[in-house]
Amino acid sequence: MHAHSFYIRLLGCSENSIIYSQESASMYAVETQNLTKNYGKVQALKGLDFKVDLEEIMVLLGPNGSGKTTLLLILATVLKPTAGTAKVMMYNVAKQPTRVRQILGISFQEARGFWRHKPADILRFHAAICGVPKNKRDAAIEEILKDLELWEARNKLFMHLSGGQAKRLEVSKLLIQRPKLAIFDEPSSQVDLRGKRRIWEEIRKLREEGSTILIATNEVREAEYLADRVTILDQGKSVVCDAVKNLKDEITGGDIVELELEPGPNNTGLQDELKQIPGTVGLVTAGENRYKAYVSIAEAWVPKMTGLCFERKARLISVRVTEPSLDDVFLHFTGKALEAPENA
Amino acid sequence: MRNVIRLVWFDLKQELRPPIWIIMEWVTFTIQLGIYGALMSQLVTGISNYQQFYAIGFVVMMTFDIGAHTGRHFVEHAHEGRLPYLLSLPISRSKLFLSIALQGGTELALMLSVPLAISLVLIGNLSAISVAAAIATLFCLGFGVAGVMLGLSFIAFKSADLYTAITVGLSSIIVRFSTVLYPFIFLPPNYAVAAFLSPLTYGADLVRFFLGFDPSILLNPTYAAAVLTALAVGTLGLGMFLLQRLVEGVKSA
Repeated sequence: MHAHSFYIRLLGCSENSIIYSQESASMYAVETQNLTKNYGKVQALKGLDFKVDLEEIMVLLGPNGSGKTTLLLILATVLKPTAGTAKVMMYNVAKQPTRVRQILGISFQEARGFWRHKPADILRFHAAICGVPKNKRDAAIEEILKDLELWEARNKLFMHLSGGQAKRLEVSKLLIQRPKLAIFDEPSSQVDLRGKRRIWEEIRKLREEGSTILIATNEVREAEYLADRVTILDQGKSVVCDAVKNLKDEITGGDIVELELEPGPNNTGLQDELKQIPGTVGLVTAGENRYKAYVSIAEAWVPKMTGLCFERKARLISVRVTEPSLDDVFLHFTGKALEAPENA
Repeated sequence: MRNVIRLVWFDLKQELRPPIWIIMEWVTFTIQLGIYGALMSQLVTGISNYQQFYAIGFVVMMTFDIGAHTGRHFVEHAHEGRLPYLLSLPISRSKLFLSIALQGGTELALMLSVPLAISLVLIGNLSAISVAAAIATLFCLGFGVAGVMLGLSFIAFKSADLYTAITVGLSSIIVRFSTVLYPFIFLPPNYAVAAFLSPLTYGADLVRFFLGFDPSILLNPTYAAAVLTALAVGTLGLGMFLLQRLVEGVKSA
């Protein structure tokens, strides 16, 4: 959803800090220009230009070390940028950090730090400090704890929660706060599939109520389920940003064939020969003895490929025909697999 | 201000459920004073009542430990991952700093309440003003030490091991080279020079001055008050500056 109209909205999340702001067509929920962050000699962000529209779900997709978390922490005013600017709803994160913190909320990658507190107490504290009205706090906490299946664990000590429960608790903070800009860093990591679905539904509900959502993840399925737009980050730079469908359309070739070969001397030079098969649009290595071929029509390409392997006495372990995923989009734009073992 | 109190209470109530380690501090003090203090009092002849002198010295040492604990607490927050959360809350950095200082001050008050009361009863015959002045001095010292430790805590963002080594080393030097256990006039000249550099010297001697100890064995109270005030204001100001300007919750790409 893009912000093209001129209107006045209520932005504040704290009862003491209601901010009325005029939003114009040029207003973004998040806007960074030439944003740079160095950790000593390591450059985590390299002049990042990035925009998030109001009330959209923007997913930052990238492997570990791509700069996703650094960007989120800068926006949340936890880290300071080395150079460049970052704005949240027009407030500069470096110059007006308290204003920014009144607008946004962040669910961190790892829920840590309150070992001796109970989930209900942690949420009660968070709700109070974020300005959730007192008469609504308990009901909101109960609802969220029940929705995320934490109700039974509400009086356990934090240190006794499982990884998945701790992660759900971390997400619960934002669901109770309901900020105008909600930032989630890998919201469903360590959570089982059922829990993931619940979290994703809650995030969507949050957006439907008018919040802008920014999510960092390296899970393709999460990105595909939630994203209005995806920004692919790699090595501190934005590689591409567009709607999921548009990104997939960017990939030439209608089908993808993933094949895995048994290791052996006959595989030498096979990659070049596979590229020569008519209908091959592109072919990339997706691991040792694993290839991903972008082809025009899989039904025509696969028999030719198996014939070639038979002639070369190269043994096929598996062949899988799929449609492009965001992993393929990532591979297409960066030349690297997003869900390679080292990124998992 | 309501959010500052919320922050203080959120952590503090965990300490009080149950307040075991606060009670243990009281018990330690009582045993130390009742056994060690009483026995040493019979051995020491240069001071009229060494047990009273020792009681105040021990209270000052506790003040130092609690103040140092506040600084360490901050470092633990950073390493446990709590600091990024605190830094992301919708409050200003100065209020966050105030909450850390207030929490330290409240813990100080809770832990010192019984030891100080015992010491005051032991000394006896005191006016309300002198007691209030002594308490104010202890808070001033506590804030000063917490400020030093908070300042040093920024080393921990680079190296937790270096921070631990520095604070442990500094603690042992600051306590030993001070007048908490022996009066300034009894110190050999080279020890006396080192004692001048310890904030505990000024804290212990000023508290003793307010509680009616013989001024001839203590430092000049005006000088001690000036040093302690400068320490508290200076280090807390430095800590706030560092928190506002430099602190970053985590270092993760």
